[in-house]
Amino acid sequence: MKLRTLHLVTAALFALATGAASAQQPILISGLVELSGTGATSGTNFDNGAKLAAKEINAAGGILGRKIEYTSSDTQSNPAIAKALAQKAVDAGAYVVLGPVFSGSILVSMEETRRAQVPNFTGGEAAAITEKGNPFIFRTSMTQAAAMPKVARYIQNNLKAKSVDVMWVNNDFGKGGRDMIVKALGAEGIKVGADIPTEPGQVDFSSAVLKAKQSNSDVLFVYTNEEESARALRELRKQAYAKPIIGETTLTGQKVIELAGDAANGAIAHVGLTADAPLAPVKAFDAAFQKEYKAKSDHNGLKGYTAMYFVKVMTERIGKVDGKALAAAMHGAKMTVKDNPGVLMDVTFDNKGDLDRETFMTKVVDGKQVVTDVLPPLGAK
Amino acid sequence: MSARRHLAGLAVVLAALVIVALFLKRSDVYLLTLWAVYLMATMGLNLTAGYAGQMSLGQAAFFGIGAYIAALLLKASWPFLAVLPVAAIVCFVVGIVVGFPALRVQHHYLAFATLGFNVLAYLAMRNEEAITGGTFGISGIPRPTLFGVDLGGHLAYWYWTLGSLVVLGGLLWWLLRSPWGRAFTALRDNPIRAESLGINITAYTLLAFAIGAACAGIAGVYYASLVEFIEPGPFHFSTSLMMLLAVIVGGSGRFYGPALGTAIVILLPEFLRGSSVPWLKFMQVWYLAFFGIAVIVLMIWLPGGLLSLRERLDRKGGPQ
Repeated sequence: MKLRTLHLVTAALFALATGAASAQQPILISGLVELSGTGATSGTNFDNGAKLAAKEINAAGGILGRKIEYTSSDTQSNPAIAKALAQKAVDAGAYVVLGPVFSGSILVSMEETRRAQVPNFTGGEAAAITEKGNPFIFRTSMTQAAAMPKVARYIQNNLKAKSVDVMWVNNDFGKGGRDMIVKALGAEGIKVGADIPTEPGQVDFSSAVLKAKQSNSDVLFVYTNEEESARALRELRKQAYAKPIIGETTLTGQKVIELAGDAANGAIAHVGLTADAPLAPVKAFDAAFQKEYKAKSDHNGLKGYTAMYFVKVMTERIGKVDGKALAAAMHGAKMTVKDNPGVLMDVTFDNKGDLDRETFMTKVVDGKQVVTDVLPPLGAK
Repeated sequence: MSARRHLAGLAVVLAALVIVALFLKRSDVYLLTLWAVYLMATMGLNLTAGYAGQMSLGQAAFFGIGAYIAALLLKASWPFLAVLPVAAIVCFVVGIVVGFPALRVQHHYLAFATLGFNVLAYLAMRNEEAITGGTFGISGIPRPTLFGVDLGGHLAYWYWTLGSLVVLGGLLWWLLRSPWGRAFTALRDNPIRAESLGINITAYTLLAFAIGAACAGIAGVYYASLVEFIEPGPFHFSTSLMMLLAVIVGGSGRFYGPALGTAIVILLPEFLRGSSVPWLKFMQVWYLAFFGIAVIVLMIWLPGGLLSLRERLDRKGGPQ
């Protein structure tokens, strides 16, 4: 009899202990990121941003008193693997999925998170992502469709150009951007000169640059991934290309400046969110990121970082850890820096999952990205 | 091994694959299905490379052609069972067209010729935007409903793919035991002797190549329907290399070689990544590096592939 009592007490204690543990159970957030392959630069930055935010949030007591458990897994920049990992994240009971960054991968993997009704924050910029009526997908940056008209307007008003050459990388990112800028330039009445496609991972840009030189347009628009942008800038400098060089998001990114060295000086780009934005929360982020990783974040780092804070802010707003409720609350959500410094800039989400906020015109001066203009949100004009 | 023991062994493995899937998570079943899909293509490549001895680096192109045909036709509401023969026949014909000039050259020259074809096919998939959707690919490819059974679920699709794999494997098994199959092997071992025995070398080489291509086309159909999205990336020539690696690692010219090789190439990295055993934790970060090293070691120690392990051990002690 005595033994039995002991058993009962043990069982009761055990039940109590596990019960207490479940109240303290961490919130599982899964990152699907490109840590190898062609997307490694973007994915690693995104992942580091998310990790940093999770660390900060946990240090400040977590979300609703629960710690974040953030795990990241490598999609190898391959859509078929990304799909498998999305299923795995869902199976593991993830509250939210962050990533992938590559548009091709997110287009596949978001079908899985949608089926499981798990909110999914992506770094992808292709327009198609939010045009499929998926109520669980949210962006962490502005779309190409929103960004390119601003670039075209800048080329028209500030550079007074009549014709523009377009150099782009032939993948979903580059092709999407190329189609959008050509449309936006057309709307401003600017002629497109040479249309120059380049390969993902291309090393030699001599013939691409030669084409741009020979076409003699007023401005060159460069839209490639980070490493290719650096190679293009080096070759442009080598061939003494003298016209303005303008890009979007990638061209003046930190990684590009590091790789291109002096050749990056003078490059102009429109950027959605940059670590060099003249704002106090962004400066704080920049310092923390550099301290943690001994490197400067590119725009993808800010995407991952803000995504984690979007989750925190909105979860606390709805007052429970419930994926479906979170997704519903995200539509039409407005978050301000005043109340939540972690979101870095005031931001609003529409009912498709697209976000809107201020953007910047930046220029590389002496190996540093400098903000020259702050452009208002689209919804504010 | 006697035929009876062989069949019994096969039945045990298949039964295990059927039962194990019931206890696996969705993502693991998906990976198993991916294995079966790639296996269809590597079994075809094994016929070309392992049995007929023709080094082909264009398998991913046929895989892609099958996948694009499937994507376009399935989206146009064609029944799955009608799409399969179309993809197989188109790949067979393209295989003959490509193979005819290419097979006049042999071995590593053929490897480069087929590699060129793969690059060409990749560029066509990427640049012919009107048909292939270019770099944006084709999304929303439906999974089939057959005989009133919806194969949209992960388990249903796995069983359907496994069943199809067994049928395809059976056909290849039969082919290899037919006079044709013996002609393929004769061709690989000594083309001059084979010709002196009255085997038309060109015709049989071409046939092996085209049948291998048709297998890849069939695999492509299952791939498109499995991932439900295709873009040119998975059909890059690096996939051809991966498939050839699977054939060689498993043991080329051995019937079950590709099954083992494909499992190693597709499943081992994911298994290592997912390992939660404490002393294997470092694999979550290092799995790709470990995988690369393992393949190198294997090729040095067992150039005949994993299935040559037994012969290797039997030979131990004697000179190599």
